[in-house]
Amino acid sequence: MSKISVSGLRKSFGANEVLKGLDVEITEGEVVCVIGPSGSGKSTFLRCLNKLDELSAGAVIVDGFDLSDKTVNLNEVRQHIGMVFQHFNLFPHMTVLQNIMLAPLELKKESAANARATALKLLDRVGLADKANARPAQLSGGQKQRVAIARSLAVNPDIMLFDEATSALDPEMVGEVLQVIRDLAAEGMTMVVVTHEMGFAREVADRVIFMADGVIVEEGTPAELFGNPQQERTQDFLSKVL
Amino acid sequence: MAVTALLALGGGFVGVSAAAASQSQTNPVSAVAGETYVIGTDTTFAPFEYREDGELTGIDMDLIRDIAASQGFTVEIKSLGFDAALQALQSNQVDGVIAGMSITDERKLVFDFSDPYFDSGVQMAVADSNTQITGYADLAGETVVAKRGSEGETFANSIKDEYDFTVKALADSATMYDDVKAGNSVAVFDDYPVLAYGINQNNGLKSVTEKERGSSYGFAVNKGQNPELVAAFNTGLAELKSSGKYQTILDKYLEQPAPAAASGFFGLLTDSLPALMKGLGLTLLATGLSILIALVLGVLFGFFKVSESRVLRGLASIYVSIFRGTPLLVQAFFFYFGLPQLTGQSIDVLTAGVLTLSLNAGAYMTEIVRGGIQSVDPGQTEAGRSLGLGYVTTMRRVVLPQAVKIMTPSFINQFVMTLKDTSLLAVIGFAELTYQGQQIYAANFRTGETLLIVAALYFIVINLLTMLSNKLDKRFNK
Repeated sequence: MSKISVSGLRKSFGANEVLKGLDVEITEGEVVCVIGPSGSGKSTFLRCLNKLDELSAGAVIVDGFDLSDKTVNLNEVRQHIGMVFQHFNLFPHMTVLQNIMLAPLELKKESAANARATALKLLDRVGLADKANARPAQLSGGQKQRVAIARSLAVNPDIMLFDEATSALDPEMVGEVLQVIRDLAAEGMTMVVVTHEMGFAREVADRVIFMADGVIVEEGTPAELFGNPQQERTQDFLSKVL
Repeated sequence: MAVTALLALGGGFVGVSAAAASQSQTNPVSAVAGETYVIGTDTTFAPFEYREDGELTGIDMDLIRDIAASQGFTVEIKSLGFDAALQALQSNQVDGVIAGMSITDERKLVFDFSDPYFDSGVQMAVADSNTQITGYADLAGETVVAKRGSEGETFANSIKDEYDFTVKALADSATMYDDVKAGNSVAVFDDYPVLAYGINQNNGLKSVTEKERGSSYGFAVNKGQNPELVAAFNTGLAELKSSGKYQTILDKYLEQPAPAAASGFFGLLTDSLPALMKGLGLTLLATGLSILIALVLGVLFGFFKVSESRVLRGLASIYVSIFRGTPLLVQAFFFYFGLPQLTGQSIDVLTAGVLTLSLNAGAYMTEIVRGGIQSVDPGQTEAGRSLGLGYVTTMRRVVLPQAVKIMTPSFINQFVMTLKDTSLLAVIGFAELTYQGQQIYAANFRTGETLLIVAALYFIVINLLTMLSNKLDKRFNK
């Protein structure tokens, strides 16, 4: 059964239609990388999956919840979906530990002691156990993004969305963040990764989707899409970035 | 000269008193017995009303109090200023006005007057040092000043074309005298007893013309309201005249006004400080109440402004544009004078003042709150919401802690603005610091020194509060 089912998804900002009818099925444990030129609608597509952007038309069904249904409790659905942003969006007025513990405590998922233990375990997992009491401003970009990943994992999601998670990083820090994502993939997490890192996409993705001008132009395994692209648009894009 | 003329006038009143006495017989005194009436008056119109050691005194005050005592009613005097007293009377905020007010045909259209209790007249005065102006003919091309809506203004306007001068209107005598001393106007047209009193108090002026035959002063009630009060006033006045008490009162204030002993600056400081401190207390009270209410309004409408509901956003926008789009002074007048006329419900001056300031400051606070919330990176909200936190939780834990930090300096700024804005409430007779200062220099004519003390008090208090606020800001918004 599909973990995420998208059908006929359209999204407009005013008169500007950004998504022009997308149909995607993603199964449990699948890692899907979305590539494409800027303005192709990749990020908007991702933001429709947890309804940070309203849907204009079509349906998005996540874990059996229909997001186009107004009566669905979005806060409930979102606890199943972690999201990592290009600009980290850590809470600057809290320590690293407080950032990670905020949602579990506010959502009363765990006792304070448990939340703390979980947070420390997650920090250890992303290699930042010694930064628990640091403020976001004291961290490097790569460290911030790893904290942001730990924060998303704290509510125990079964889907992770990455929105150009390495685009704002200095090149030498990209590796440490990709490693964390790679580890998550290995653990069987269902993931949708919007990325410009073609090498990474080729390595970890089960499937690669190429988007342009608000439509899915082509999709397939990394080998198919990178090795033998069928569409002229895909060939053109890949020739520029590879 | 003026004093002799007055004495003659006092004698003239005896004739009127008989008529007043006979009229009063149809209105039994018992109609007012035991009642309490709120009487509006000018802030300072010496010798008719002025403050001595903080207490209101003067011819009008003695008359109304003696009449009240003899007729068995109680008066509560409100020292509002002339214009404000008349507006308060029209809006039934006060029951009667005694403020050295001339009985004119125009005023008779909106007020009912008592029998005249004093015959006045207009006189012209110039600065002590001025030797150029000795008569109306010397006024050609010059500017003179008169009290707004007064006999003096009417008279000055009636001869301004003939003598080719310009008439400027100001609100009270002390300001007019300062205007002349400062050289902004060359001469002042004022009621002669007032002028004579001021000159005796060393106000730095001298009278240069004989008094013009003028109208008479009367006690007024709103048209058709409180007829028993007018009747009681007439009866009481007649009794005072026949007993000779009336003449005693006039003599007390007009015969030989004691020249003010000019004390030094520190004398002025110690004399005025008790009244000024009382004013400062009210200033702080009004500021404190207003800023608290404004904070609540600001947070409420600020959230409306950033909400997703078009209705709430529209509501907040209307509120802000009304109170930011009209002058504070107009708002104060509206709430104190306008609203009671529309609703028929009178409103006390502190309530009206706090209402004005809090609604006004609330509009600015709304914008501060909106700006603070919107200046927090939208990514912060997205991060909170993507974790499954609700709107309220995200606001409370993520956005507001950051927004408050951004807003705090603007809050402190608004606090200081509101504190200073309380001074505008002096115009509706709210007895705050500026008002107390006006009262003091209106009586002693030492405008510059008094205003220096008032300004220094504002300066000290505002800077102390600003320092305190900044300290708290540093401590809580690290």
